[in-house]
Amino acid sequence: MALTTRDRARLSLGIQAGVFAVVVIALIVVIDWEAIRLSFFDVAAVAPMFPEILTVGLVNTLSYTAVGFALGLAGGMVLALMKLSSFPVYRWLATVYIEFFRGIPAILVFLALGFGVAIAFGWNLTSLQIAGSALGLVASAYIAETLRAGLQAVPKGQMEAARALGMPAWRAMVTIQIPQALRIVMPPLTNEAILLTKDSSLIFVVGLTAGAGELTKFGRDGINMYQAGLTPLVAAGACYLIITVPLSLLARRMERRTPAKK
Amino acid sequence: MTPTRETTDRAPAGVVIEDLHKAYGDNEVLKGIDMTVEPGEVVCLIGASGSGKSTLLRCVNRLEDPNRGTITVGTHEATHADVDLDAMRREIGMVFQQFNLFPHLSVLDNCTITPRRVLRQSRSAAEQEAMTQLRRVGLEELAQRRPDQLSGGQQQRVAIARALTMRPKLMLFDEPTSALDPETVGDVLAIMRDLAGGGMTMIVVTHEMGFAREVADRVVFLDRGRVMEEGPAAQVIADPQQPRTRDFLRRVLNPTQVDLED
Ligand SMILES: Nc1ncnc2c1ncn2[C@@H]1O[C@H](COP(=O)(O)OP(=O)(O)OP(=O)(O)O)[C@@H](O)[C@H]1O
Ligand SMILES: [Mg+2]
Repeated sequence: MALTTRDRARLSLGIQAGVFAVVVIALIVVIDWEAIRLSFFDVAAVAPMFPEILTVGLVNTLSYTAVGFALGLAGGMVLALMKLSSFPVYRWLATVYIEFFRGIPAILVFLALGFGVAIAFGWNLTSLQIAGSALGLVASAYIAETLRAGLQAVPKGQMEAARALGMPAWRAMVTIQIPQALRIVMPPLTNEAILLTKDSSLIFVVGLTAGAGELTKFGRDGINMYQAGLTPLVAAGACYLIITVPLSLLARRMERRTPAKK
Repeated sequence: MTPTRETTDRAPAGVVIEDLHKAYGDNEVLKGIDMTVEPGEVVCLIGASGSGKSTLLRCVNRLEDPNRGTITVGTHEATHADVDLDAMRREIGMVFQQFNLFPHLSVLDNCTITPRRVLRQSRSAAEQEAMTQLRRVGLEELAQRRPDQLSGGQQQRVAIARALTMRPKLMLFDEPTSALDPETVGDVLAIMRDLAGGGMTMIVVTHEMGFAREVADRVVFLDRGRVMEEGPAAQVIADPQQPRTRDFLRRVLNPTQVDLED
């Protein structure tokens, strides 16, 4: 008996649905749902975490990330322009910076700023200063490559038209090339922001002062404070998703809207 | 106070090109060009693909650096080491085959960005001048649109208006109608004819022989980096002296003849 392509597609869909149903039923029967609920979703036990996990934890995560991202954008732009410079020394310096900070774990940068700076200079940096600058240093390297690609993706005719009108090179860069490059790299930049949001948790390695705790800190402390299994971590995770899922949706929407280039 | 509308254009500039050489690596593209364009004159530059027409045009506003020779545009010695390129380019309008409008700016902003940012005109003065030029190309009602909402012919007319807002003394056109749908070519050529009638100095690279015959004072035929033949438009097109010119014209005129004469 010969099956048409359409029959075969329908059969394949049927088999997948059947397997899925069997697995779901097995899970419902086998799993001890009460145990799961108590160790992951014991909402009542972690109620005291609120509202501080939002008003302090979420806010701190957001501000560490925002400062890091702002510094990363500024540093990344400088590095991207250095990489595209006609002066070779700038290109080399930018390459060394980018390779260095992309090549080492971000946690080393947090440790260096958290302990190294205090030992070397005797400065006592706040959690925001440490997290912001550590994230900024690392993000600069990644964002630089993204921005460089964006600047190069702007058609050459744009710069030529601007220069032909009599714009000085820097003015043409600022008003014509950079705005178009930023538009092009909006989706990857949003993804950088998502990665940075998660990396802000690394601040835990240098310890956090009171009131400086971010989401991961709240999650870890919650495990010790409440008899709720891993529920505090689930709560912290959900808070991260409050930040990252909208960013992700935003990136996808912008990707869809990116017009075809001429 | 009613602002007075400036309707007269600035005195046109002449162009003198002497012994111009340009090579890309080993590829000698311009092999000693001598050419003079009087103020107010319209010269059409014709020649086969790769003969160096665009390169010659782009040397005039120094988008390309010549290897040897001199170019003078009005009072500017374009090839002099101390030339203020930006000041010179503000007096030279250029229109590209691919329009090169700034896609992130509205039609109006395309026309005002350089007067405002470079000439430091007030927004209202720049917008008034832009609207005057948009009216001249028949597109004032599209001032708030984005370039990608315009047809090719409309985009090219905006590009001409954008160049005119700088009140140039010389206009360079590099195949302004080659990327256009046949039915929009006429609108662009009509604007160029008006401009020529108004006394603008124009150098036009084109394959539109009807336009050249009707509008150009002179036609220059470029062949493999050299001026092979030049003379009054009607004479060169109707009665070319050089065999290569004759060959070229036969090829251009026969397959897709576009005749502007009524
Ligand atoms: N930026 C560049 N780098 C290297 N070679 C180039 C460059 N621009 C132009 N050329 C070469 O110079 C020669 C002349 O090019 P040009 O664009 O001036 O010709 P053209 O007469 O305008 O031709 P077309 O009618 O196709 O536009 C060609 O052989 C081209 O490959
Ligand atoms: Mg060309």
